[in-house]
Amino acid sequence: MTDKKNEPAIIVENLTKSYGKLEVLKGISTTVVKGEVVALIGPSGSGKSTFLRCLNMLEVPTSGKIVIDGTDLTDRRTDITRVRQRIGMVFQHFHLFPHMTVIDNLTFAPVKVKGMSKEEARAKGMLLLERVGLKDKADVYPARLSGGQKQRVAIARSLAMDPDIMLFDEPTSALDPEMVKEVLAVIRDLASTGMTMLIVTHEMKFAREAASTIYFLDGGRLLERSEPASFFAKPQTERAAKFLEQVL
Amino acid sequence: MKRINLLAAALCLLLTVGLLVGSLLPGQASAADGAAPEKTIVMGTSPDYPPYENVDAAGSGDYVGLDIDIARHIADRLGYKLEISALDFNGLIAALQSHRVDFVMSAMSATEERRKSVDFSDYYYFARNTIVSKKENGFASLDELKGKRIGVQLGSTQEAVASGMKDVEIKKLNKISDLIQEIKTNRIDAAIIEDAVAMGYTDANPDLNFTMLEADSSSDGYAIAFPKGSPLTAQFNEALKEMKADGTLQKLVDKWFPEDREAKSKEGGGGFRLNFAKMEKYIGYLLRGVYVTLLFTLVSALFGFIWGGILSLFKLSRFVVLRGFATVYTSIFRGTPLLLQLMMIYYAVPQLFGYNIPALLAAGLAFGLNSAAYLSETIRGGILAVDKGQREASLALGIPYKTMMISIILPQAVKNILPALVNECVALVKESSLVSVIGVADLMRRASVVQADSFLAFEPLLIAGAIYYVLVLVLTSLARLLERRLRRSD
Repeated sequence: MTDKKNEPAIIVENLTKSYGKLEVLKGISTTVVKGEVVALIGPSGSGKSTFLRCLNMLEVPTSGKIVIDGTDLTDRRTDITRVRQRIGMVFQHFHLFPHMTVIDNLTFAPVKVKGMSKEEARAKGMLLLERVGLKDKADVYPARLSGGQKQRVAIARSLAMDPDIMLFDEPTSALDPEMVKEVLAVIRDLASTGMTMLIVTHEMKFAREAASTIYFLDGGRLLERSEPASFFAKPQTERAAKFLEQVL
Repeated sequence: MKRINLLAAALCLLLTVGLLVGSLLPGQASAADGAAPEKTIVMGTSPDYPPYENVDAAGSGDYVGLDIDIARHIADRLGYKLEISALDFNGLIAALQSHRVDFVMSAMSATEERRKSVDFSDYYYFARNTIVSKKENGFASLDELKGKRIGVQLGSTQEAVASGMKDVEIKKLNKISDLIQEIKTNRIDAAIIEDAVAMGYTDANPDLNFTMLEADSSSDGYAIAFPKGSPLTAQFNEALKEMKADGTLQKLVDKWFPEDREAKSKEGGGGFRLNFAKMEKYIGYLLRGVYVTLLFTLVSALFGFIWGGILSLFKLSRFVVLRGFATVYTSIFRGTPLLLQLMMIYYAVPQLFGYNIPALLAAGLAFGLNSAAYLSETIRGGILAVDKGQREASLALGIPYKTMMISIILPQAVKNILPALVNECVALVKESSLVSVIGVADLMRRASVVQADSFLAFEPLLIAGAIYYVLVLVLTSLARLLERRLRRSD
């Protein structure tokens, strides 16, 4: 792991995104290194979700450049489908495939997209389910699961594709409070394995403990980028200080 | 590109299924098989006019009748192989003119009007007219019909007789069985019908009787019709002359018209009664129509669903051309009558592509194309109703568009629109009766053949109705099973 440290995983250059006249991202530049765990925080409407969704082109940037592992995503010739296979994404509302059982949710993409054999995919899927503590739910349909269980399955589904990078878009915002913990535990566990991760979250305690870097966004700009300890102890901008005052 | 491949595949599938269907149904494409290896002549006839021509629906299912027998004799004498093409009476002249058939025998009177369009042979039979009415009315002569409502068959010689009468209200209908039904329900007081046919109907309906009218020497007899300038006319006249001379013709007439016909006005109870006992022997013939109806429904529903699915993807596409095409397509196919589309395809395809499209393929195509227009909207709605997150989750996993649509989006969309899909299928089963206008022997067409054959107007319809109902019932039960299966994930 250590030898890969400081190798860039994601390079973002002057990224902007507008919806008509509304400019949501106003030029963001940053580099995420391999194994880095980034927590994106900021008030709602600050552009943090949009920024995250640009990283796998669910939102197409208006201008700027995103380079992941040497591949320029904004280049028209890039096969974005292939790039996405290496970037996992977890959504606020899980988006499990409701017409498939839990294990089928996990094996569908590896089998259909990567051409993995069904047996292999199933074995791998069962290991992942065990890892998120849901081995016994393999053959039930998502409708039978609680929110926390659904989100853990969604994480396992992303991991089944063996991604290099994981994106989390407010993974606990739609959960009842007692279920937040189980999901955060899974994400924290994942962070400790050296996976490159970007997490949009409102869980400040979690961000402080699990992230290696905090990004503070407001008004479509990346205002602060620092280590959790220093950010939470002494934010550099007045805007961040005010935000922390409100949420802590 | 992938979408275009899909489209091509769907069209291939349709064509294969259609050709298969076409080949399963004998006799539809006979006239087009061209390049006849042996001398075959095709006779056009409207087999709903016993005892001249009808389908032996209770037995072999063959065409039988006086005209059929005469035609076979002539063909034998001249050394031809005879093929029979069943058409609607009103389409016979057109079939001659477009050379879809070589000659027409269908109890057709050689009127002046018709002589302008086709050539006729010598007369082979003169029919006499009768007045058919309810027993209690019993009109004795045309004069007694003054001030009454009378019915005649459209395009018949009786129509000419009726239009010469004063002070009567004339109703013209396509089929004799319809006229009979009109009398029985008191919508008309009497109908002018020729003797042999009237006899059959009054036999089968004891509440009716008929009165013979004086033979009218000025009226036209029945003759065989040919395209203008056909060399067959002379050959047929020669053969007819021989048959008249050696008594063959008279023997055939006697076979189909028993001697004691005038004495046949008989006793019997009045009132409205249904005679299902007589229907029993026709059940087999009617049920064979179920196969045609189901096959047809399956082909058009499948084609409609696949093509409708593709159209709905066009409508959701970001390419303006595809969106525009799908929108115009839908507006045309929803904005014009299905019957018209059916006729256009059946009659226009042979002229545009030189391919004599079999009736069932034309029908499957027309219904499929039409159904697709409606289904494309239904499916589009179903796709839009699938949570946007499903698409995003698929994209984020790197699942390609086609796989996503087929395995993720459509299954969920179909589940949502299943009730609407079932509605469309049920509608197709019932609308399929429209195909009888182009001569496909579906359930409805068979019911009217049985009407003609049994001389009963109402009973065959009731039985056909019951069969349709059972079909729809079975279909909806199957749909319920499917729905339960799709809902097991809830």
